[in-house]
Amino acid sequence: MERLLIKNFFRSKGVVIGLGILLIAGLISLKIGKEFQDKNQRILEKTAQVQQDNIDRYVGYYKNAIGKALYFIRFGITNETSNLSGLSIGQRDINPSIACVSITSLEGQKYTSELINPMYKLLGNMDFSFVLIYFFPLIIIAFCFNLFSEEKEGGTWSLILTQSQEPVKILKTKVNIRLISIFSILIVLLGTAKFYLNIPISAPFLAYTLIAILYLCFWFSLCWLVISFRKNSNANALILLFSWIVLTIVVPASINAVVIRLYPISEAYNTVLDNREGVHNKWDKDRETTINQFKELYPQFNRYKHPKNAPFSWLWFYASQEIGDVEAQTSAIKLMEKLQQRDTFSHYVGMLFPTIHTQLSLNSISLSDSKNFLNYIVELEQFHKQKRLYFYPKIFTNSSALEEDWHSFPVATFQDKVDINWLRIIIPFLLIIGLCLIFSETNFSKISNT
Amino acid sequence: MIIAKKLSKQYGSKVALNNLDLHIKQGEIFALLGQNGAGKTTTINCFLGFIEPTNGEALITGLTVNENVLETKKSLAYIPENVMLYPNLTGVENLSFFSTLAGFSYTNNELKRFLDRVGLNPEAYERQVSSFSKGMRQKVGIAIAIAKNAKVLLLDEPTSGLDPKASNEFSIIIKELAEKGTSILMATHDIFRAKEVATRVGIMKQGELSSIVEAKKISANELEALYIQMS
Repeated sequence: MERLLIKNFFRSKGVVIGLGILLIAGLISLKIGKEFQDKNQRILEKTAQVQQDNIDRYVGYYKNAIGKALYFIRFGITNETSNLSGLSIGQRDINPSIACVSITSLEGQKYTSELINPMYKLLGNMDFSFVLIYFFPLIIIAFCFNLFSEEKEGGTWSLILTQSQEPVKILKTKVNIRLISIFSILIVLLGTAKFYLNIPISAPFLAYTLIAILYLCFWFSLCWLVISFRKNSNANALILLFSWIVLTIVVPASINAVVIRLYPISEAYNTVLDNREGVHNKWDKDRETTINQFKELYPQFNRYKHPKNAPFSWLWFYASQEIGDVEAQTSAIKLMEKLQQRDTFSHYVGMLFPTIHTQLSLNSISLSDSKNFLNYIVELEQFHKQKRLYFYPKIFTNSSALEEDWHSFPVATFQDKVDINWLRIIIPFLLIIGLCLIFSETNFSKISNT
Repeated sequence: MIIAKKLSKQYGSKVALNNLDLHIKQGEIFALLGQNGAGKTTTINCFLGFIEPTNGEALITGLTVNENVLETKKSLAYIPENVMLYPNLTGVENLSFFSTLAGFSYTNNELKRFLDRVGLNPEAYERQVSSFSKGMRQKVGIAIAIAKNAKVLLLDEPTSGLDPKASNEFSIIIKELAEKGTSILMATHDIFRAKEVATRVGIMKQGELSSIVEAKKISANELEALYIQMS
């Protein structure tokens, strides 16, 4: 029986076309992921080179004024890209994976992004997670919407009812055939990705696979639930497409709107203003006031002096940069907190909607979510501070730039930790799949013979 | 074998079947004549267990259908007005599929023998059913019924839309089955076919069996006159 049902399924042209489209879309998405990885690799290599060239150039120009050289020299720190992000580019589209900062005021440099193809920022990428979240369900719907109604409408159901002792079992076999065919495509794509994108078989990759499987199971269970109401094909198609639109488009857009409303980040604007104001108004203020504020912050630099009544010294200049950051600090901290709150809120609300839960979980384990970016910003602050504190004494004593071993400053790397909370990933899926199956089981038990 | 006791079915205020009493013996072919809406299909659906009677009971091989749906199903086969099969499967595959559902496992040769017996052209055995005519599908439907080896055969206007030759072949097979002990209930509009095939003919009107005649004792013309008078 199974063999014949499989034959019947694969002999319809639509099935082969549907699976073919899915496979091609998946392969294209892998190619896009590969390009993303290559682009990151290129940027990384170039940055290392540019950083060294940059150092050599400015040290050459300002041999005896390290303070001036450091005004121009930028130090890079990359946000290490997980190979999985080739499958789930996530916010890496918007947030740069590398930042190059000078030891001047940080706030203005934090959110500067790279200048490579800003087009993607408008469109987003058709990465694998997009294919998984948007395309796979459409094919599942196309395969399943008339699973039962085609038997009713095609007239075979009455014959099945008189022949079979367990007619619902045939529907289950049919849905399993579709499930296996779709999962085969998923496994082929993930297998290809493993080698093509060079993803190691590790807990994050297994988690990624598990999420993908659970997400598709959710769509199958939703289809099964809709089928169990025994509506006609048109009604089923409508209900399922409506669910697709709501879950993939309407709900994410609405949650986004809610997030923006609940956590408005006016601080983003304030931080920029406070910082600019903080840095620039120091030129109009008494130099000693700024320096005293700076020394309060770093008592270890008490012994360095600003030449009396001089309009400029490197001590004062870097103090003004530092105090500019301090004055923007309140807004900056609030900004970070609110970004954190947005992330947490989205994660919790997202658990109710498998599409959002899937996207956020995939981005999270691929280190391409907003949490990773926030961790990176914290690391960037540390990195920046450490560079400042290292160079301040050298600047304040006006040591020669030539004395520094500049080659000991390669591009630094921030390696975020993948945090896989298995229960938090799995339970929302299991609950909603379970609900769909329980409801459909009740519906099917009513119809065993009609 | 096929018994209806005061079988009634009501849809709201509309009476589809009213106190129908019927007793079809083993090896007997009973033809139900009647206009559209007279209750023929409702009667068959009650025996199939597709609908639950409002009153009375339908029995197949002594078992009440609604209380023993799965059990009675085993002993009956059904051929609807339009046998619908899986268009992507061949004739043999369709027969194999539906026989497997009924719990039979036949070899390819056995399946072909069934199709041969119902007169399906051998070149159609391995062809996809999407290219079959109605008559060809009807033949596969009969093959499915024969392969099930059912004691009871329920036919709902099985010859409507068939050409005279196909209808005639159909009658022959039905008679053969009855001779081997199958009890057959056939709803039809075809007075001539009913007279040809059936042991007894019942005429239905508004859910009631208004008349029953022995087919042998009446000519086709007389049957037609009776039909017009009774229905």
